[in-house]
Amino acid sequence: MTKVVLEVENLTKIFPGGFSLKKMRRSEPTVAVDHISFEIHEGEIVGLLGPNGAGKTTTIQMLLGTTSETEGKLKFFGKDFKKHRSEILQEVNYASAYTRLPWRMSVWENLMVYAKMYQVEKPKERIEMLLEQFEMEEYAKKSISDLSAGQTTRVILAKAFINFPKLLLLDEPTASLDPDIAVSVRKFLLKQQKKYGVAMLFTSHNMAEVSEVCDRVVFLRKGKIFAEDTPDELAKTIKNCTLRLLVGDGLKRLRTFADGRGYQISIKDREAEVVLKEKEVARFLNKLARHNIKYSEISIDKPTLEDYFLVQAGGENE
Amino acid sequence: MNKARVGAVVWRHLYNFKHSWDRLSDAFYWPAVDIFIWGLMSVYIRQATVNIPNIVLLLMSGLVFWMVVWRGQYEITVNLLEEMWNHNLVNLFSTPLTVYEWMVGVVMLGFFKMIMSVGFAALLIFSFYAVNLFNFGWLLLPFFVLLLMFGWTVGFVVAGLIVRFGMRIQTLAWTGLYVLAPFSAIYYPVSSLPAWAQKVSAWVPTSYVFEGMREAIFSGRLDQGLLVKSAGLNGLYFGLSLWFFVRMFNVSRKRGLTSVE
Repeated sequence: MTKVVLEVENLTKIFPGGFSLKKMRRSEPTVAVDHISFEIHEGEIVGLLGPNGAGKTTTIQMLLGTTSETEGKLKFFGKDFKKHRSEILQEVNYASAYTRLPWRMSVWENLMVYAKMYQVEKPKERIEMLLEQFEMEEYAKKSISDLSAGQTTRVILAKAFINFPKLLLLDEPTASLDPDIAVSVRKFLLKQQKKYGVAMLFTSHNMAEVSEVCDRVVFLRKGKIFAEDTPDELAKTIKNCTLRLLVGDGLKRLRTFADGRGYQISIKDREAEVVLKEKEVARFLNKLARHNIKYSEISIDKPTLEDYFLVQAGGENE
Repeated sequence: MNKARVGAVVWRHLYNFKHSWDRLSDAFYWPAVDIFIWGLMSVYIRQATVNIPNIVLLLMSGLVFWMVVWRGQYEITVNLLEEMWNHNLVNLFSTPLTVYEWMVGVVMLGFFKMIMSVGFAALLIFSFYAVNLFNFGWLLLPFFVLLLMFGWTVGFVVAGLIVRFGMRIQTLAWTGLYVLAPFSAIYYPVSSLPAWAQKVSAWVPTSYVFEGMREAIFSGRLDQGLLVKSAGLNGLYFGLSLWFFVRMFNVSRKRGLTSVE
């Protein structure tokens, strides 16, 4: 059994209502995170997912101590966060696509300040290694203001690894990266996980990325944990799949048949897309044969984590 | 208290200082402008019919002494704002850095930059007006300590308000201290203030330092009671300002530091 690096118990955040001078009264408090509990083990990558406003960022900020919790207990590496904050944060780091670094300072200077902050031994070697890893060597002397959004994100990621963290909190780390760089960043994250047992808590809106990287997903909705499982198991809870057919003959008959049976169908040129339950696919294809509907190509898209996310996020909006 | 992390705060702002024309002009350009304007004004007064002894020394000392207060408060408030402008507050406080270490870091910066700015100003004053501020001798030490301490006090109060209410009140970083300037009696004696203002002035620690400065210039002596009064008030205010800033920082954490970036 691997060690638990993070234990979250009944974590709750209620933001107090602000006072409105117009209305001369205080607005209602907002429950952003509502008694959530979960654990992360050594070397595990856990995805924290949920629609906007689900409480993901507030949870990460509470884990960092930059937002104070209303209730609940946080333990990192078996130690109480309130009592051992500095000691714990020495082993933790954070990256978000939405924070910035001092824009006048160069890439090198920014990383050096954080290396000093974490008291990294041989900081020059560490910075050189990270710049090479994130393909940023040629930008070392450039100011942050001269970098593109993607390059800045890479510097922020380099900062996140500067202290050899045992736990990384990553808030949409690959947002704004070009696809090829995002792939190399994902590879780097997985390498760190395998080689050094780095655990990660990972939020992203890219569900394919979450499926690829995360061992487990915690799904938040309205501040509560709605589901917690592996990406595959969560995807399996979605029963519908998409059947694609390149129809040769009987396009009209197909539409009439699908509409009559209540299947969701869309047709573009000769390509038809039918959404139906996975277990009904064989029966559906049989019926097409009986109606003499001919197709030359067929593919079935199985439900993914993205489908799960869309269904659950849609559920919140209903 | 971890020295390396305090050092990292100092390095962060020294790197920034090197690249920032704003910070460089704060440190050198504006003090030089003040010195030229006020220096020329005092030369004019000296040449005019009104005879005020040591007028150049009086005005130049007032200017440099106020620079000490200003530098102390400015380093705290503007360095906090630098983190907020750069969206770097969350990055910074998600490291092992504590709020106390940050406070010590910016106070140390204030001290270094005060030495730099005052040294530069003293050199200009000596070069252009043949006035040597170091003629105050050892008296400069208590004067500067008390002035710097009051600058830090105002700095932590203003920084506390900014960290609590965000950048919408950032103008306080430049204006906050100047509310107290008239009551500090920088260029004129406290007795020249209206009666109500004299009562306010009695609660402002810097007023005793400037009174002491004038006494030292005119008579060559110094009533140590003035320094004791200033130190007493300073100690009280400084303690309260530290408590206030830490309290406001923690209130801000309740809303989340991201909310003030």
